[in-house]
Amino acid sequence: MLVANTETIAGYRIVEVKGLVQGNTVRAKHAGRDIAAGFKNIVGGELKGYTELLTESRRQATERMLAQAEQLEANAIVNVRFTTSAVTTGAAELYAYGTAVVVVPDEEY
Amino acid sequence: MDPLTEYAIKFGIFLFLMSLGLFVGRHREWSHFCDIANREEAMSDMLVTQVKSFPAATMKDSPPCMVVAEVVVATDYLKSFLAKLRNIFGGEVGSYQSLLVRARSEAKLRIQEQARNLGYNAICNIRFQTADVGGNSTQTRVAMVAIIASGTAYHAAPHAS
Repeated sequence: MLVANTETIAGYRIVEVKGLVQGNTVRAKHAGRDIAAGFKNIVGGELKGYTELLTESRRQATERMLAQAEQLEANAIVNVRFTTSAVTTGAAELYAYGTAVVVVPDEEY
Repeated sequence: MDPLTEYAIKFGIFLFLMSLGLFVGRHREWSHFCDIANREEAMSDMLVTQVKSFPAATMKDSPPCMVVAEVVVATDYLKSFLAKLRNIFGGEVGSYQSLLVRARSEAKLRIQEQARNLGYNAICNIRFQTADVGGNSTQTRVAMVAIIASGTAYHAAPHAS
């Protein structure tokens, strides 16, 4: 499965559009991470716990999107976008969406 | 305990946190910026664009591939205190500006490193966005910024120059 956040893929031609595919996940951070972040707030720097949380959520959302694309028998997803929203304090949604398409290698390349 | 010693202790803790922010925080920020500068130097031959097309694309062994990275960075105690002061008078909050610069540069470098590890030499359609990691809990009130950077890595023809 080819995944790109561009509208086209270099070297490939889109022959069929299968439609919108999406995946989302809502994750809560645990109290331990909050406490660690509280300490980090004194000296500053990267909050690794939160970065990991975001990476996990993004992977999960992307997997769900890929599963949808596979179901539609697409072989690529173009124009992938991510967006996040705070559902409540302590939980955030990560939403990934894109357009599932069928691509073939372009002979002109 | 009489109120005077109580205030003295509170003020002592405040001074301690401020100095931690001033010395440890400043040092950490400075070393992070040095690290970013070094890594950017190493990545200077990579073609990074924000356009939606693929400049100078060549078809070599593998098709384009999306790269994503996220970073969450917090400020130090001194900087959040300065920002609170700034809140009274208004104007540009310089201490948070550098925080955002730091987070974006780090995120950009991470996707560049990902692309390089996958064997690509260019990235197009690079996008930065701030993310939400679930808001700040009221007790900690961490001033932090989360950035998601995404782009499409591909093979580009070597520079003409």
